[in-house]
Parts: sequence; C-alpha cells; structure tokens
Amino acid sequence: MALEHKAFLYRGIDDFLSVTVPYLQSGLEKDQAVIAVVREPNLTALKDVLPARDTPIQYFDSAEFYRHPVHTLRDYQTVVKQSRPRSLCALAEPVWDGWDERQTLEWIRYESLINVVFGSSGARALCPYDTTTLPPGIVAEARRTHPLLLAPGHHDGPSPEYVDPETFGSGCDRGLRFDRPRDAEYLPIEGDDLHALRTFIGERADKHGLAQQPARNLVTAANEVAANALQHGTPPIGLWTWQDGGDLVCEIGDHGFWRPGPLTGFIPPDTALQPGFGLWTVRLLVDLMELRAGWDGTFVRLRVHCSSPGAGR
Amino acid sequence: MISERETPWFAKRPVSDVRPGDHGWLAYSGFEERDRVIGPFVQEALRTNEKVVYVTDAPAERLPGLGPRHRIDLDAYGRTGQLRVISRRDACLDRRGEFEPSMMLDTLAREVDEAFDQGFRAVRITTDYSWLVNRPGPPDLGRMLGCEHRVGDAVSPSTMAMAICQIDRHACPRDELNALRDTHEVLVEVNPEFDDGILKIVRTFEPDGLRVEGELDAARHAVFAEKLAQVSGDRRRVHLDLSRLGFIDLGGLHLLARHATGLPAGEPLVLDHLAPDVENVIEMVGWHRLPGLARGGERTLPDTKGST
Repeated sequence: MALEHKAFLYRGIDDFLSVTVPYLQSGLEKDQAVIAVVREPNLTALKDVLPARDTPIQYFDSAEFYRHPVHTLRDYQTVVKQSRPRSLCALAEPVWDGWDERQTLEWIRYESLINVVFGSSGARALCPYDTTTLPPGIVAEARRTHPLLLAPGHHDGPSPEYVDPETFGSGCDRGLRFDRPRDAEYLPIEGDDLHALRTFIGERADKHGLAQQPARNLVTAANEVAANALQHGTPPIGLWTWQDGGDLVCEIGDHGFWRPGPLTGFIPPDTALQPGFGLWTVRLLVDLMELRAGWDGTFVRLRVHCSSPGAGR
Repeated sequence: MISERETPWFAKRPVSDVRPGDHGWLAYSGFEERDRVIGPFVQEALRTNEKVVYVTDAPAERLPGLGPRHRIDLDAYGRTGQLRVISRRDACLDRRGEFEPSMMLDTLAREVDEAFDQGFRAVRITTDYSWLVNRPGPPDLGRMLGCEHRVGDAVSPSTMAMAICQIDRHACPRDELNALRDTHEVLVEVNPEFDDGILKIVRTFEPDGLRVEGELDAARHAVFAEKLAQVSGDRRRVHLDLSRLGFIDLGGLHLLARHATGLPAGEPLVLDHLAPDVENVIEMVGWHRLPGLARGGERTLPDTKGST
C-alpha cells in the first residue's frame, strides 16, 4: 500500500485543530495505529480536545522525537513495525527552530526521505507547517518534499512543486562545501590494522571534551569508514581531524572513484546482513555524515557536536 | 561469607603462564576443559626438563596429555623420574584407607627434594580431589581445606614447585567449592585460542563458547570467525562472553549475525555480559536488525556461579 504523505500549511491553533482532530479520529475509525508527534502548545491542545479512548492515541512531544533526522526515521520505522498488521496514521510536526543552516538542510532532506522509507507501508502522515511563524523558505521546501499539500481554503491535492527524493537529495548535496582547514591533523591509513586509528580518534575526542558515549560512537563510525576505504578504496588513504567551532570533524579520504547515490546510508536496512548497514549505522553514530565522491577521490566527513543531544542516544 | 566473595583479587592465568610458586585451582566442567588445561601443564613440563608429579589412581596413559595419540614414551620418562604417577594409597592414604593430609605433604616435599637432586629445574604437581568429595558419607571439608592451606604454604614460597588442584565443579555444593577455591591464589584456565595483544579469544565451558576480550575489528574477523565456527560444532548452544570486549566494529556485528543465521532454526547465538560500549551500538541499530543474536546474562563474574 502506498504512503499518503501530506503537508498541512496552517495559520494558528484553531486552524491546526480543525484539521488534525478529524484526521486523527479518522485513523481510529479506520482501525489504524494512531500517533501524534507535535510541538507544544499544539500537543496540549490536542490532548484537551480529543477524548480518551480504549485504543489510545500515542502522543509524543516533537522536541523529544526530532533530535537527529536519521534517528527519527529509525524511530518512525520502529513504530510502523510495531503497529503491524495495522497501518499507521501519523500526525508528524517537525521542529524547525534551534538548528543551524546545515542541520536545517538535513531536516528538509528528512521530509523527502519519508517518501522512500515508508513508500510501501500503507501509512498516512500529515505534517503540519505553521505558516505564521515558520520562515517562508521552510514552507517552500515542504511543498517540494510532500507529494500532497493541504492549505485550507486554497489547495487540497497533489503538490505541484513535489520533487522525487533522489532528485531532491542530489539537490541538497550540490550546495555543500568541503573546505578543510590547513592545520587539520593528518593520519595516514596504511596497514589494515585500525587499532592505531581508534586510539588516535579517541585521544582527539577526549581532548575536544566529548562525553564518553559520543566519543566511542565517533571511534566506531570512523573505524567503519576507514575499513570501507581499505576494502574498496584506492591508496593513499588517510584521515584528517580538526575543530570547527564546537564541532569535532573527522574526514576519511581515499583516491578511489565511487558514485554513491543521493540516498546512500539514509534508508534503514532491515537487518545487519543487508548492504548499506554500515553507512546507515555511521549516520546514526555521529551528528552528521557527509559524502563527497569526485575525480579526486572519495571523502566521508563525520561531525560531532560537543554537547551532542543526539549522538549519545 | 567466603562463598559470597567475588573473585577479582585472584590471578586468573592461562595454564602456560603458571610459574613456580603458583598454587593453582581448576574447577573443571567436564573432561574436555580438564584435558585442555592439565594436558598442556603436563606436556610442557616433559618438553622443558621439568618434573611432573601426578597423584592419581588412573594409569599414566589415561591421564590428560599423556594418551597414546600424544606419542609420549611414558616408560622413558618414568625411568628418569621426570614423570611420577603416584597412587593415592602411596601418596596420601593411611593404613585404613583414609585421606591423610600430612602424608600428602610429606609425599610432595619428598618429590620436590628429589627433583632438585635429579637436576630438574621445576616440579609440576597436580591431583584431582573430586574422589574425596564423591565418596559415600559426608565429605571431610575441614580436612581438605587444611591440606590445601598447607600445600599452598609449601608451594607459594617455592622457586621450584607449582601445583594445580583439580576438582569436578559438579562434585560438591557451591559454597564448599568456593571455600576450596579460596585456598588458592591462582585460577588456572585454558590457554587462549588467540591473543595478539589487541584481541584475545578464550574457549569457555559451561556455557560452551568463547570469551572475547579487547577489540574485534576487520583485521581480526577471519581468526574470530574460525574460532567461532570451531566452537559451534556438535550442535551445542554457543555463548559469547563479551564482558571484556571494549570494541566491536560494524563488520563484527555483521559477522555475528551472519553466523547466527547459519545455526539450526531457533537456535540463537547468545551474547552474555555485554560491556556498555558494545551494548550501546547494538541498541542503537536495534536487536531486531541482528537476527539470531540473543541477549544473555547480565554482567556478573562467571566464577561465582558455581554448580547448578
């Protein structure tokens, strides 16, 4: 069954409730598993309006649910799986404040990825966008990442601006910059034993003041990327680390030619036995993974925030 | 209180690291474990000009490490005095057939003295006490403990003698087993299957499996897969003790899951005592993405489990 993924552009809380309440009730009536992940004060308002039922709606605060886009995709997938055989009816309101420009781009990409990850789940997802407070750019992207669009009084149907996720993902990556500071530390990766690399990263993470869990996660992620480079890449292979503001950045490069698709590592594999398990897990382990593959080689950049809310979970 | 005591203050030592002065303890779960410890203990002595004193009623060719397939000339070693297989009656039983600790001590002292005169550089002593607790009637624990203390007192300051006291861990209740264990300073275990300073793999028995210590990464996948395949024969459920595994790479998780899918239907590969860093990665990807792997026991110290 196909996914129904709809952006809902609303103006104020009454507008919000007038659509979301009947939406959630219709899910209950269709015997779908119903989940509402919304921001405050919308969350409290919904709970006040909707009566308690035998088959309850699962409520989550968006502030808790939307911390790391790859984690959030994973968590929604878990909800979908746990709901089977029932399909899912989700009210899904992302968080758009508190992110820097780069993080915001990943959350926009996330909305587009929903179309792939849940494409055949039979789920319904209604994603509210508050047009009175959100920057116009965010609302414009919502029209491109949702196949369906509801703007009460103006539009209810296919979004004319919708872009398929592969094309959209390529567009996201096109504008990325990959400068590397000249004083980045460099460690050549020569033998196939990565013990020294793990020690090196561990020391840099300590020096940077990372907590133990994100530090260990970065070590596991860097080890995986380096192991991939050793297995599939072309020497010379090496690793750079540097600080970028509060972030610790770690980049592994080799001189092999690889053409990763724009969805590489974003789609949760069903099991560890499927291809893509490694890079997907790397995306879980760090705050941001960026891929650049070109004529000069393949470069994977890992970024961890110093006080990282996501990486330790 | 002794039975409640945990074990970190014991030195746990692979059999090939046992040195003069060590009064070692081996509570084995079965003959396979016993033979993999006592076999090397005895064979290394014969290879390196050290004397073996084995107190037992079994014939020499039935002892660990000395069977026909090892092609050891038992008569020759017997003639030179390098291999001394001494019956219980001669070593430690009084005229009524009762265990007499002082006699055991005299026997051992005599054998060690002789070894010095015979020019052996060390003496390796071993005996299996299971028969003492297996006899009809209540076991004389006090007598055994007294004996073990005195053996310890004799061996520990020695620059020549080392001993491994064996017992079938199922032969007596846990508190008695622990009380006996506590008269020893060294817990002896099998030699590691593999140890390169980064990754160490040790065969475990009861449950059958491997203890994996250190760091498992791509450079060590092949040797780990080989050891895992070896221990997974015989259709037994395999447990991996990961209490001392500080790092596993994602390829290692893939390897575990791939191995588990090859097991008979419904038979999981059990991961015991997960260290926090490893558990964190598994929980992040989700146990359901690692089909065939099952979470086993929480972190405890294996030696406090005793017999069941």
